[in-house]
Amino acid sequence: MENIITVDNVSKAFTNHVALDDVSLEVPRGKVYGLLGPNGAGKTTLIRIINHITAPDKGRVIFDGHDLTAADIVNIGYLPEERGLYKKMKVGDQALFFARLKGLSKQQAEKSLREWFDKLEISSWWNKKVEELSKGMAQKVQFIVTVLHNPRLLIFDEPFSGFDPINANVLKREILALRDAGATVIFSTHNMASVEELCDNITLINKSHNILTGNVAELRRRFSDNRYELGYEGDEKALVSAITPLVKVIEPIPADRDGISRVRFSLNAPDDSRTVLATANANALIRTFNPLLPSMDEIFIRTVEESNHQTTTPPAI
Amino acid sequence: MKSALGIIISREYLERVKRKSFIITTILMPLLMLAMMVAPALIMALSGPEEQTIAVIDDSGVVAPRLQNEGDITFIPVNTPLTDLKADDNYQAILVIGKDVISEPDGNISLYTHGSPSMVTEQFISGQLSDVIEDQRIRAYEIDNLRQILDEVNVDVQLQTYRLDKEEETATSSILSYLLGTFMMLILYMFIMLYGQMVMTSIIEEKNNRVLELVVSSVKPTDLMMGKILGIGAVAVTQILIWAVLLIGCSIWIMPLLSTSVAQSGTADPAMIQAVAQLADPSFMGQLLIFMVLFLIGGYLFYSSIYAAIGSAVDNIQDASQLTSLAIVPIILALIISMSVVQDPNSALAMWTSYIPFTSPMVMMARVPFGIPVWQSIVSLVILYVSFVGMIWLAAKIYRVGIFMYGKKPTVAELIRWTRYK
Repeated sequence: MENIITVDNVSKAFTNHVALDDVSLEVPRGKVYGLLGPNGAGKTTLIRIINHITAPDKGRVIFDGHDLTAADIVNIGYLPEERGLYKKMKVGDQALFFARLKGLSKQQAEKSLREWFDKLEISSWWNKKVEELSKGMAQKVQFIVTVLHNPRLLIFDEPFSGFDPINANVLKREILALRDAGATVIFSTHNMASVEELCDNITLINKSHNILTGNVAELRRRFSDNRYELGYEGDEKALVSAITPLVKVIEPIPADRDGISRVRFSLNAPDDSRTVLATANANALIRTFNPLLPSMDEIFIRTVEESNHQTTTPPAI
Repeated sequence: MKSALGIIISREYLERVKRKSFIITTILMPLLMLAMMVAPALIMALSGPEEQTIAVIDDSGVVAPRLQNEGDITFIPVNTPLTDLKADDNYQAILVIGKDVISEPDGNISLYTHGSPSMVTEQFISGQLSDVIEDQRIRAYEIDNLRQILDEVNVDVQLQTYRLDKEEETATSSILSYLLGTFMMLILYMFIMLYGQMVMTSIIEEKNNRVLELVVSSVKPTDLMMGKILGIGAVAVTQILIWAVLLIGCSIWIMPLLSTSVAQSGTADPAMIQAVAQLADPSFMGQLLIFMVLFLIGGYLFYSSIYAAIGSAVDNIQDASQLTSLAIVPIILALIISMSVVQDPNSALAMWTSYIPFTSPMVMMARVPFGIPVWQSIVSLVILYVSFVGMIWLAAKIYRVGIFMYGKKPTVAELIRWTRYK
């Protein structure tokens, strides 16, 4: 089975608004999948449907080759964006409670909890009450109870919020380690830098529609719009005037300390990089030639704004 | 491996039972109730007539010689004018008796005291005066043996009530039933109110600190709600059973003493003897306890479902106040109806409200001590438990939508709309 989750034409409406309108997506096994979108786009509703908390009005969700049922919950670990713990309970008792809800026996749960507590260096908290913990500390406990039962599918909604950079990195490392061990990760965040860093594929949801799906590297190439950056040694004027008929120059960048100047441009005709390179080669010493990839931030903003302008039909992908 | 529901129930139960506040209230409440019962008697006993010397100015001339000193109270007839006596510290009080006291006692007797007199002293004095005046009046008729005749005419009727529907003709005491009915109904009212609201506040708290989001990622929302209701219900049952055991323990120790003292005293009226006998009857009390627990559980489950639905729909306690009237109004209504039911346990009102689940737990609690037919209790229980199933089904539908709704105070109409969501 190629995909661990297939969302098939799912719709969900509440009293005053449509949360999801005919959304489909496929999450490939063993990858990190980004679920992106502005606030209120319908991400949380979609995650709750995948997690069997709410039922869709229309459409279906296929988990590991069969229709999603309540029994699949033990194979999913979900860390919601808005999360809390029982304040009056001790950390260890509470972690045990959540672990046992996921179907672990008391002994199993205690054993793997101790391992995880050691790994994240929080063993000394076991007998503390939750109300004594800081937000970041509580988040670590929540992370552990989400992953403890070794689920095949992990869903993280803004997992890094509330963490300092050091702990965020620890968490990132653990998430990737879980992926390497075979788990699939669905990752919902507004932090586009971490999307570029972690995600293999993404889906962008806006106003209850899926407006963009694809592989992160491919998408960035596609959204590069034939933009390139050329690094060279030589005369800026000569080079720029030589390539101007073939490209639209975005900006020339003066030479840096190593004497390498840069110029950014977009090709007038796609796949014309050869001619451009040949022309440039005749006028300067070429050092580098790279496609200019847009950040996920740019892609996010551009796609959402475009879709907001033409809200009638989502663009075909 | 335990089911998710079982794990939720045990967490809800243990977290509460282990709390200091639970242990303290469970122990303190019976003590407080005992204190409330014993206190008036204790106060009376302690504030018995203190040593008093009372000066008597008797203008009628017939009353003073007949007043009898008793205990610490001494009457001393004097001829000093009142104004002089008022300044005399040797007397704690001055009793002034008018000339026409026999024919016209009202307004002809005054008592002057330093400080306010105790009720016991006042009662003692007025009791003595009544006896003297009554005696004087009887003599005035100049009929031989009038006192004896009057005593023979006087009658105090005590009904000996027997139940014909029981195999054995047992004597029952309706005053005892009245007291027991009121007591059990109040206990039930207190428990349903207290524990029902506990379910609500606990759901609001979970929703508020978002621990709920984490829990429902592992268990079905319905299971979480059921677990909470059952777990807290188990706490209520634990508390009532602890109290029942304490009560039974006390009765085993006290009842024989009470029975013998009542039997020996001889003067006790038959109703009292009957009541004590009934209280000492284990089958009667056992039946009461069983029905009480059954109606308590049924009533709690029914009402806590309503409270759970309300709790899920709001963000904080303040917003809940409007919706809680959905639960509180019927409970109060049931309480008021029960108050009248203990006066007339077989009225049409009592019959009807015994079968309506909103009122039945308390109304039945008020009626059961009167020994109503068992089938009525069973029918009422069946209706109550079936209604609970319907109510919790409805509550679950509201709950699983409500717990994810933030920021808006929903109306009843919206709650009803939520039940139609898929």
